[in-house]
Amino acid sequence: MRYHLVLRTVAKILIPLIMLFAFYVQFHGDYGPGGGFQAGVIFSASLILYGLIFGLAALKQVIRPWVVRVMLASGVLIYGGVGVASLLLGGNFLDYGVLAHDPVHGQHLGILLIELGVGITVAAAMITIYFFFAGRKTTKQ
Amino acid sequence: MFTAALFAVAVAMILCLLRMLLGPTVYDRILALNSFGTKTVLTIAIAGFLMGRPDFLDIALVYALINFIGTIAILKFFEYGTLGDESLEESE
Repeated sequence: MRYHLVLRTVAKILIPLIMLFAFYVQFHGDYGPGGGFQAGVIFSASLILYGLIFGLAALKQVIRPWVVRVMLASGVLIYGGVGVASLLLGGNFLDYGVLAHDPVHGQHLGILLIELGVGITVAAAMITIYFFFAGRKTTKQ
Repeated sequence: MFTAALFAVAVAMILCLLRMLLGPTVYDRILALNSFGTKTVLTIAIAGFLMGRPDFLDIALVYALINFIGTIAILKFFEYGTLGDESLEESE
């Protein structure tokens, strides 16, 4: 893909816009269609596009495999941590209302944190799947 | 009016499907798949306006992005035989 000038230019223009759209889907999910899962998939799609155009080695320079593994675990940690925090504050598991003094603010904070955890984990999982697909030996004769 | 537009797009999608099944070369099929995805974007947008939910346009935008990336992935796989580096292929 070293000589495909049009593809490289289009990818350089599109990748920041895709990331911006992923953040829009992540943080606007309360009011419109969207949420953590979709935002994670869109965010990883931008990095997969980078890997397709510029190669797997370049993508591994941008985001190291150990960073992906840490992201994979920390999203689940955020999700479970919110649940345990609401348990410790006297509610049920994942009962967001007790997270702040006002139950409505607690609901907002809880859903934001949960969706953040889901988004981080899904993005890392999709990038890991791409790493393993792209790292295979070639099938062309 | 939206119903007529939806019907027209559905006819075009059927024609794309026929080209995808009949296409003599693999590039005909990929081109048909790409234009089928574009018509899916149009279908999502028209259906959103038909049901009175214009926020379906967000979903149409996402579908357009994923369609673009998927087409690039398929083309790269058929050209180089790998989704990663072509240098892996050269070293063999």
